[in-house]
Parts: sequence; structure tokens; C-alpha cells
Amino acid sequence: MGMIPAREPPAGTTGFTAWARHNLFGSVSSGIISVLLGAFMLWAVFSILNWTLFSASWEPLWNNMRLLFVYRYPPELLWRPLGVVGLVLFLLGLSAATSRRETGSIIRGVYWSMAGVSWIPTVIALFAWPSVRWLWLGASLAGLLGLLLGRALPRFGRSLPWLWGASIPATVLLLYGVWNSGPLQMVGTRLWGGFMLTLVLATVGIVASFPIGVALALGRRSTLPAIKYFCIAFIEIVRGAPLITWLFIASLMVPLIFNVGPEAIDPLVRGLVAITFFSAAYMAENVRGGLQAVPRGQSEAARALGLSGWQTMSVIVLPQALKAVLPAIVGQAIGLFKDTSLVFIVGLFDFFEIGRRVIPNQTASLQIPGGVYMEMSVFMTLIYFFFAYRMSIASRQLEKQLGVGER
Amino acid sequence: MNQTASTTMPRIVTAHAPEGGERIIEIEGLNKWFGKFHALKDISLSVNKGEVVVIIGPSGSGKSTLIRCINNLEQHQDGKIVVDGVELTNDVKNIDLVRRETGMVFQSFNLFPHLTVLENITLAPIRVRKWKKSKAIERAMFFLEKVKVPEQAAKYPGQLSGGQQQRVAIARALTMGPKVMLFDEPTSALDPEVIGEVLEVMVGLAKDGMTMIVVTHEMGFAREVGDRVVFMDSGQIVEVGSPDHFFQNPHEERTRSFLSKIL
Repeated sequence: MGMIPAREPPAGTTGFTAWARHNLFGSVSSGIISVLLGAFMLWAVFSILNWTLFSASWEPLWNNMRLLFVYRYPPELLWRPLGVVGLVLFLLGLSAATSRRETGSIIRGVYWSMAGVSWIPTVIALFAWPSVRWLWLGASLAGLLGLLLGRALPRFGRSLPWLWGASIPATVLLLYGVWNSGPLQMVGTRLWGGFMLTLVLATVGIVASFPIGVALALGRRSTLPAIKYFCIAFIEIVRGAPLITWLFIASLMVPLIFNVGPEAIDPLVRGLVAITFFSAAYMAENVRGGLQAVPRGQSEAARALGLSGWQTMSVIVLPQALKAVLPAIVGQAIGLFKDTSLVFIVGLFDFFEIGRRVIPNQTASLQIPGGVYMEMSVFMTLIYFFFAYRMSIASRQLEKQLGVGER
Repeated sequence: MNQTASTTMPRIVTAHAPEGGERIIEIEGLNKWFGKFHALKDISLSVNKGEVVVIIGPSGSGKSTLIRCINNLEQHQDGKIVVDGVELTNDVKNIDLVRRETGMVFQSFNLFPHLTVLENITLAPIRVRKWKKSKAIERAMFFLEKVKVPEQAAKYPGQLSGGQQQRVAIARALTMGPKVMLFDEPTSALDPEVIGEVLEVMVGLAKDGMTMIVVTHEMGFAREVGDRVVFMDSGQIVEVGSPDHFFQNPHEERTRSFLSKIL
């Protein structure tokens, strides 16, 4: 018996017109809705463009860029935060060039979007910001240099974990400084602010809350009652109140309880501790969900092979658990990144606080109708969106990549 | 046999290996409870080196629990289990020693889905036996050849068929060089058309002289390589005998009714 050969589909059932006919104008009512929605979208786009180009006043934003991104960080020391930008771009480039694992394409994606975007301020700086012109150029070139170096000498790939590890103290050293004077003079955290502070808070919060969260999740499953109930109590109490409450407690209650002046603890430390522990409690619950998703048979098989309890957890159960809840973990990282905007409670001037209050207050005397709230909000939304959406893309790619070999 | 006596008098049936062989597993007066439920009742069973013992019985009869006690995946509350001269107590060192010498194959394979086939197999030899990676890979490939899936070494378990996964699981257990292999319904989760390939591997293993305790309903396997068959019901051993004994003339009414359902 011969097989029936494959035939072309009937004419007019594929392509854009067929799609539009089926999905947009499938019936009278859906046709009306399509036309109305289309009209609304055109009107919205037109209004936004009109406002952006003709009504909005972008001058205060343009004049306050430095405030918005680094707050009162000494202008003559701006090479230090920009040095950190360069360092991160350099390491990203090195990672992108040398990563041969399945996750390599994701790292390359992150690298290209970050390195690409860094050229926007670089080009602006070359024309309009003479004081940081060469610094931005240097930072952007460092990203390219990392990529080229990684391509030329792939063996750098092996030392990358060390280099990334070393970048943490290097960042602290650069941002905070060491001595009382000179190029590495100390810059107190009271001068930190803007988007730089937002990134510091989000990075430290995400990186530090991860191991604490994993430890809490494991502790919650511990057979030792003392550890188990401590972890349960910690998780439930921290999750029981909103972040803003914990920030409030960190800024007002802690000095009162420990009977120290309000200046005794650095506000940045207060904010970091509150954010980290808050995030760790949620992380713990995410990880616990993942641990429960790993079938019992997995640890039984590992134990039956003679692996110790610790080996079973770290090599068999935890990797599968984290993989299962990776989207939730990245979702939480995105949430944390945006939630840093609450740190004005502890007296920090993060990106959002400066855009929301500092700049509008300064420019109020200029008597611009409606202040500059709208312009600031739109700009801040774009910046927040870029970073949050980039994380979201990476998470989706990671999910797909890690799906390889899934049962 | 007196009918009234056998139904009213509790009778403990023991399943000891024939005298003269070298004992490798010795279970004496084993009792196990899950909460208040008495799952294993006064089990006495021993196995000689090179013997193949097949355990049959209805579901819930305690046969899986019994072999899971042998490598301490379940803890017993009463009685004695000695594997290769090491008694299973609460001592973690002893438990680790016993687990190293017993391989286990599960109904649901339990391969590690995030590791390749080769990594699945070499993980324990490298981390527990402290072998060099090259030696572990060499041994792993030897056993993958033996179970006839060497070409799958670089794949992930999810890319393999059920029969292939179970054969990899057998190779994983064998690579550790165990003295005893425990099989917990190894073919029950498989499609009928691939059961044969797994049984073939198990028959080969038995003929090579491996000591095996196999929980299964595959009576063809029992008949071909089984030295003894143990029938369990509601947590106790009901009848013990050679495969021929079970096929031709089982004594107990309970055994007969069970066999008539599965044969």
C-alpha cells in the first residue's frame, strides 16, 4: 500500500490576511472591537509622542542626571563607580567569550544588551559630559576588551569564578574607599544614592538572601526541633509584615531597643539587613517548594548508592529543587530590585526617591506647570523596566536551557 | 495438614538458606511498624552467596518494605539484620558500609534527571569509593556495554525509553561493585514490550553468580533463575520453596489463590 503524499493547505488559510480575518474580524462583534481598540491604540501612541516631543519639559531631568544616578558622590571621584561599571562589563565580556556550557548563550545575551546599552551614555558623554567623557568610554571599552581577551585566551574561563569573587571586595573598595585622603579616600554612604545605590541594594540583597534562604529552607526540614522551629518562626514572622514595616523597624526600633543613637548604625546597613532578611524569608519558601517537588525516590536512590546525607542534598536534591523554582527565584529578584525603592524609609536617597522628591523639590522654584513628576516617572519607569525585563528574558532562556534532560 | 490448626494457630515460617553455603544476608525475627500498622511480622530470612531469592505476594504484603529494610531505606524496630557480617544498627558507619555493598534497583528507576547517564553512574564511585574519574568512567562503560546501552552514555535519562532507563539503573548499581543486588519490582513500571530486555539483563546477572533478592511478579524469571521463592502476605512469610514447588503444588490455600490470579 502506498502512503498518501503531503499536500499544500487550501489557499487563503495561511499568512497574515488569513490570520487577521480569522482572529481580528472573525465575527461582526470582534470586528467592531478590533476597530475600536485599534483606534484607541493609535490615539494613545499619538498622545504619548505629542507629550514626549512637545509638552514635556526634559531640561530638569537632563540637568540632574548626575544626581539621579550617583547622588552626592564626589564628582572628582566618579572614576570609582564608573570603574565598577567597567569591571562588571569586562568580566561579563570575559564570561560571554569563554562560557562553553549550555548557559553560554544566555550570558552572551546579557553581555550584549548591557555592553550595548552602555554605549548610550558613552556617546552622550563624548558630546555633552566632558568630565566623565573618558571614563564612560573606558568602561565601555573594558567590556569589549573582556570579550576580545576571552576569545584570544580561552583559558581565562577557568579563573572566572575567582575573578567574579574578587570583584566583590574590589567593588566595596572602589565605592567606599580606604584612606582618609587621596584617590581612594573614603566616601561615606551618606553621599551614596541614585541608581548606583539602587544597584548596590538590589545586588547585595539578591546575592546575600540566596544562601540565607537556602539555609532557612533546609533548616525548616531539619529533624532537630530547635533549628526547625527557629527557621519556621523566622520565615513566618518576617513574611507576616510588609517590607516597609521592617524598614521602619530597622530605622526606628533597632536604635531604641539597643539604646543607641540613631546615627550608630549606618542607614545603608539598616536598609541592606532589612531587605536581605525579608528577601531570604521568601526565598526560603520558594526553595522549600522546590525541595518538595523532588520525588522521594531521588534521595532514596542516592542514599542507596552510599552517598551521605549532605552529598545527597547538595548534589542530587538541591540542584533539582532550585531548577524547579528558578522562575520563582528570578521573579523574586525582579521584585526585590523594584522594592529597593522603599528605602527612603531609612533615610536613603535611592533612584526612586531622587526622582520622586529631590529633583521635583529643587525644580519647584522654576514654576514648571505640574512640576517635573511626569517626566521623572516616565524616565524612571524606562530604566526600571529595562533591567527588570532583561532579568525576565534571561530567566525565560534559562528555563528553556535547563529543560534539557528533564524527565 | 490439620485445617483448624493452620488457621487458628499462628505459625512462623522461616526462609533460611540451605546449610553449607556462605551466608551473606541474615535476617532474624524482623518486625517493622509504620505508626501503629504492623508491616513486617517476625520475618526470618537468610541468603547464601550466589543465591537468587524471588519474593512474591499481593500489594501491601510487605515485600518491598522487607528489601528496603536490608539497605536501611526503612528502619526496623525489632530483630536483627546482618549484611556481609555487618549488623544494621543506628550506627551511621554500619549503614554506610552496608549501602556500599548492596545495589538497589527501583520500580521507578530513580535515575537523576539533571545528570547524564555517565554522570549518573560515575557519581557514587567517585564520591563514595573515591575512585579516579578515569577509572570510574572505564568501569561505567564496561557495565553500560553489559546492559547494552553504551551509546546512550552522553544522554540525559529523560531522552531514554523506560527499558533503557532501567538498564542504566542496573548498570549504576553494578558499577559500585556490590555483593548483593536488591530489585524492587524492576519491571512493574515498564511497557510490556520492553520488560523482556530488562529481564534478559537480570537473567544474565544471575547466571554470572550475583546474589540477588528480587521482588517481582515475573514468574518466568523466577522459574528460569530463581533458587527459592518466598510468598508473603500481610507482613509475614507464608510459604517458601523452589520455583517448581510453587508451580506444581503449593501447600497453602492463600498461595494457590494468589498464583491463580497472576499466572
